[in-house]
Amino acid sequence: MPLPPHRVDYLPMADRPNISWPNEARVALWIAPNVEHYEYLPPRDPNRNPWPRSPHPDVQGYSHRDYGNRVGFWRMLDVLDQYDVKCTASTNLAVFDHYPDIGTAMADRGWEIMSHGIYNTRYLSSLTEEEERNFYLECVETLRRHTGQQLRGMLGPAVSNTIRTPDLMADAGLTYHADWLHDDQPIPIQVDNGRLVSVPYSIELNDVPVFLHHHDTADFVEMVKAQFDTLYEEGASSGRVMALALHPYLMGMPHRIEGLEEILEYLLGHDLVWQATASEIADHFIEHHYEEFVQHSKTINGMRNAG
Amino acid sequence: MPADRSLGMDHPHYGYSPLPDRKPLTWPGGEPLALGALILLEHYEWEPPPDAYSLRNPSGGLIKLPAPDYVHLTHREYGHRVGIFRLLDTLERHNVPVTVAVDQLTAMHYPWLVDHLQTRECELIGHGIAASRLITSKMTEESEAEMIDESLDFLEQASGQRPQGWFSPEGVESSRTPALLAAAGVRYVCDWPNDEQPYKMTTPAGDLVSLPLFLEIDDEFALWQRRASLNSWEKMIVSAANRLHADGQTSARHLMLTLRPWLTGQPFRIRVLDRALSEIVKLQDIWAARGRDIVEAFTDFSAGD
Repeated sequence: MPLPPHRVDYLPMADRPNISWPNEARVALWIAPNVEHYEYLPPRDPNRNPWPRSPHPDVQGYSHRDYGNRVGFWRMLDVLDQYDVKCTASTNLAVFDHYPDIGTAMADRGWEIMSHGIYNTRYLSSLTEEEERNFYLECVETLRRHTGQQLRGMLGPAVSNTIRTPDLMADAGLTYHADWLHDDQPIPIQVDNGRLVSVPYSIELNDVPVFLHHHDTADFVEMVKAQFDTLYEEGASSGRVMALALHPYLMGMPHRIEGLEEILEYLLGHDLVWQATASEIADHFIEHHYEEFVQHSKTINGMRNAG
Repeated sequence: MPADRSLGMDHPHYGYSPLPDRKPLTWPGGEPLALGALILLEHYEWEPPPDAYSLRNPSGGLIKLPAPDYVHLTHREYGHRVGIFRLLDTLERHNVPVTVAVDQLTAMHYPWLVDHLQTRECELIGHGIAASRLITSKMTEESEAEMIDESLDFLEQASGQRPQGWFSPEGVESSRTPALLAAAGVRYVCDWPNDEQPYKMTTPAGDLVSLPLFLEIDDEFALWQRRASLNSWEKMIVSAANRLHADGQTSARHLMLTLRPWLTGQPFRIRVLDRALSEIVKLQDIWAARGRDIVEAFTDFSAGD
């Protein structure tokens, strides 16, 4: 298979079991603010430079993102509160150490905290197996210490991964992995022990690539609405997942925040939307559809596996 | 070989032919415009062989990340799992026939999909081994020929039909490719986006037809490389079709829309293709055609020249 090996069997959208979400919802919508800290002077990584613009520090790049924690997060929070959104915050867990105000604000609202690593400037790609195992223990421990929550899933720090990542996540007791963009539904990810599923995140419905590529708020709003319209139509026959990926340093800007209001007004104005957290989506899928998906993949790929 | 400032082309594959000087082209039904779609099923390997060539910065994903780049690989895989069906459904709804370039690793790993494309009457054409194994001048002639033959043989075996057409992985060729394609029995090639009509290529191994695609409205070129807005892409497609239809009254044209399922097959993009096609199909006298239909008509038209 094309993907990191032996993880996913082919399962065409045109031929697979139907998914039914709670209350006949057509779309399970998860909203993921990325609450991040990029280090001022990150450790050197041989494979990836977090601040390629200039020799470190890059105070402009640093400040652009730091704005999110000082200002943007709080402006976004007002809007998210207004619409009573239950977020899945993709969080660099060191945020809890650096900015307990943010940690408390998220925990008090009952948001799910999804690991986005410790810092957005420390990547998994260069870690040894032992270092990566310890990394998950540290993530689980950090979240428990600050919030009492059990860690359920991860979006790799700055979307970095290793080929071992799914196995080690499952070993550490995590349920879902958000780095798989290959589908509009949760998909079983094969691991050595236990179970892991993907809950599809988005790098298209994501303010970072949209706004960095000279599109603006109106374009983003239009994209999100169009994405939703298609999934909502298709979801009438089998449930779909839609992720909305946000960054406080971008969407929390004064010239963009009205776009978020417009988006939430539109999406949540539909009846058959299940505004859920990523782990709620994963749990529902595992309980009701996981086994059927696995069995059906075997039928689809039967010829090849037999050969 | 650098150009030597002599008359005509600086390579041997075809001669210069200004469109206004050509005998006016006619399609079999007299339509001014042939319309079709070429869908690309491109496979990116998570770990290509060490001596393989990929584009320096392939489309999809976020930024170029150290391997394994889950985001890039899974973004592309979306096309095979989900996006392809949106494209097929949309094109079918507007009666636009589909030609699909299928690379060898796609045919190998997705036999269900190859069967499915055939039940939907798509024409399948050769597309090399994988998007992570480009055909380039850096390889030997022998390994290039092997790559071409092997991928065509595999697709023939998987589909039961010998592909007549070819689109190189990522549109990359060596200077030998046209000759090697002709030697492998290929009838037409889509790698040269330089015209609005098919034209003849000549090689030491025999003739080929070049079936040019339309690079500026290719979804990847417009939406990913140039980051055109969806509305502006929609306008490009519609106004190109209108103009080709008008110009085709004097000498017929063809328009092949190049579409990638991981890109235009995304939920928010598919609606734009649907809107553009709704406009185009309002034009009178469109000849809906697959690649080989256009090439056959062109070959018949040019016979005896």
